[in-house]
Formats: sequence, structure tokens, C-alpha cells
Amino acid sequence: MNRRDLELLSAYLDGELKPADALRLEARLKTDPELASTLDDLRAARTLLRKLPTRKAPRNFTLTRKMVGQNPPLPRTYPAFRLATVVATLLFFFSFGVNFVSTQMASPVQFGMGGGGGEEVQSYAVEESAPQAAAPAEEPPLSLAPAQGTEDSARIMETPSAKNAGDETAAAQDQPPAAMEPLPEPQSRAPLVPSAWQIALAALAAVSALLMALMRQLAARRWK
Amino acid sequence: MNEQALIQDAQNGSLDAFNTLILHYQDSVFNAALRILGDEDQAADAAQDAFISAFKSIASFRGGSFKAWLMRTVTNACYDELRRKKRRPTTPLEPDTDDGEEMDSPKWLADPSLTPDQQMEADEVEHAIQHCLDSLPLEFKTVVVMADIQGMDYTEVASAVRVPLGTVKSRLARARLRLRECLQGFAELLPANYRLEEGIKA
Repeated sequence: MNRRDLELLSAYLDGELKPADALRLEARLKTDPELASTLDDLRAARTLLRKLPTRKAPRNFTLTRKMVGQNPPLPRTYPAFRLATVVATLLFFFSFGVNFVSTQMASPVQFGMGGGGGEEVQSYAVEESAPQAAAPAEEPPLSLAPAQGTEDSARIMETPSAKNAGDETAAAQDQPPAAMEPLPEPQSRAPLVPSAWQIALAALAAVSALLMALMRQLAARRWK
Repeated sequence: MNEQALIQDAQNGSLDAFNTLILHYQDSVFNAALRILGDEDQAADAAQDAFISAFKSIASFRGGSFKAWLMRTVTNACYDELRRKKRRPTTPLEPDTDDGEEMDSPKWLADPSLTPDQQMEADEVEHAIQHCLDSLPLEFKTVVVMADIQGMDYTEVASAVRVPLGTVKSRLARARLRLRECLQGFAELLPANYRLEEGIKA
């Protein structure tokens, strides 16, 4: 029995042969007892397999949402709230960063204007009588102390003018009072992002997150 | 049961629709797994895994025979189960007799609707067939289970096992012949109405 004949017999048994092939095989079966015997063997095996009892499933295999990792359907507005929460939170922390950086950038100048730093700058201004050297040291206070009183500004303004006049003594006389008289305490620079905005951002993030939690809970309750 | 509508609903995410399909197919799926694996507990695990996997991938079902598609998932689950079994061999749960022999027909498998004699006969036949099925190479066994136990046609079997039609024909023919040879060894054990000669008369 070759493999081809075996396949033909098996397919014939299942009615899977083309009519012409089936007719040819039937003609051969009449004259070939070995072929007929193999067909009987195959049929017997198939009959036995078909007699196998069908077992009932030992339990129901129905699925729960947990088993398939399914989440309750959320409202369509949910992604908008999620985006709002993320953006507000990011902006909130970003505002702190911006305020911190702006304070750091402003602090060296304020240090030069008052306290010990101020003295150093001013003594440099006294020692260096050349106007071109004094100018850069005096310029920052001019531009970065707009909040100081007009008297202070006027006094500072006097110093370069005296130098320009070439009167070293006058400059020296003018300087000591400026050096000795400490400049007023530097006023803290106003943060770039006002705290009211920060509070608003924090509130937005919190409210949005709260609404998201509420939506999830409602969706889960509705799903049950 | 409107199968097409249920499949469509399941594809849209309806678990209830899919559970209705499960209730319809669970016996077939469990039996296919049982005959491939030869173990009830493993078959139950494979059937459950198959249904979970089927639900997750139901979007990939593009029409045709749903049973064949489901059987493909079961076949994969059975192969996974066999791989697991190979990695972690376990002791069978079948109890031993007093002399240490494995009991052929554990009492908990008995069908209460049969008389003890009928039950014994049925158990004998089932055990003999399962034994012969287990002796087949896996790819032969899968094809014969799908065609002769699940009653699927060749196209469905080819789809379920993912092999060409010609391969199905060839494997099925060889599997039947091997089964016949194996079952001849049990001929004396089989009661008269289960004898292989019945096939000749049929």
C-alpha cells in the first residue's frame, strides 16, 4: 500500500474526493482486495474515534472583565481632563523652576549693590581713577537699581561726572560717603510667575484629577 | 443563536456576546484539548487560556468558520500546555491500585447514567482510544482529533492547524492507519459493539 493510495482511501471515506477520482477508486476497490481491506481498516478506526464519548466541560469557561483586563468605558471628556491635569501639573512645577532661575540670575547684582560686595565694587571705583575703568563698575548699579530712591540715584550719577571732570580729589571725597553709607537692603525681585497663577495651576490640576477619579468610579459602578 | 451577530458584538468589545459563544463552544473546545493533551486538568487550563486568547484576538477573525478559528486557538493553547508540561513534569492524579498499578478508570470519571458494566465498557474503550491517540505524533494527533472527533471538514482542519490541505489528507490517512494498528492490540478488550469489525459492516 503506497502513501498515495492510502490518502485516496482516507479522502474517499470522508467524501473529499472529486467525483471522477471517486469513481476510479471504486472500480479499483472491486478488483483489489488489499485496497478494500485497508479501506475497512481506516473506516473502523474512524468509527471508533467517532464513538468516543463527548465529555462535558468540567466548568463554565465564561470570561470576566478582570480575566481579559478590560476597563470600564470612560466618558469622551476624560482625555481632556487627563490632558488638563498633566499640563497644569507641568506648568505648576515649571513656574517654580522659572522663579528659582530668575532669582538666581538676579542675586549676584543685588549682592554687588549692598553689603560687602558693594564696598568692594566701590573701593575699586575709588582706586581706579581712570574714567574708562570706573565706568563699567558703576554702570550695573545704575541700570539695576531702579527701585532705589532718587537721592541714591543722583549720588551715584555724580561719581562718573566728577571723574569725567578729572578731579580725583573730588571723586575721592564723593566716594567715601557712598562707600560708608550702606545702600538700602535690596528689595526681593518680584517672581516672574505670580503666586496667584501658581495657586490657580495647582487648583486646576487638583480639580481635574479629582474629576478624573470621579469619572472612573462612576464608570466602574455603571459597568457593574 | 445568531453567531455572526455575536461575533460582531464581541469584536466591538462585548464580553457578554463572547461569553454566549463560549457557552456554545466550550464542550467542543474542552474535548479537543482533552484528546490532544490526555489530561482533564490540563485540558481545562488550555481551554480557559484559549478562550482568553480568542477574546483578545477576535478582531483578527475575518470570517469563515468560527469553530475552525477557535480550534486554532485551542491547538496553540495545547501546544503551550505541552511545552509547560515538558519543562515542569508532574505526577498524574490517577490513583494507584493496591499493588501500585495505575488505576485505569478512576471512579470520579464515571458517568452516573450508565450501569457499572456499561461504564466499565465505556471506560475501556475510551482508555484504549486515548492510549492510541497519545502514541501518535502531535501533528498527527491534532489532525485526527479535529477531523474525526470534532467532525470538521478538511478545509476547516487545514485552517485550524495552519497546514496545506494536502498535508491534512496525508496526516489524517497515516494517523488513521496507525490508530487502527494500535487499536488492534486492544481488540480483545473491546466489547462486541465496539469491535473494529463493525467498521467493515458499516
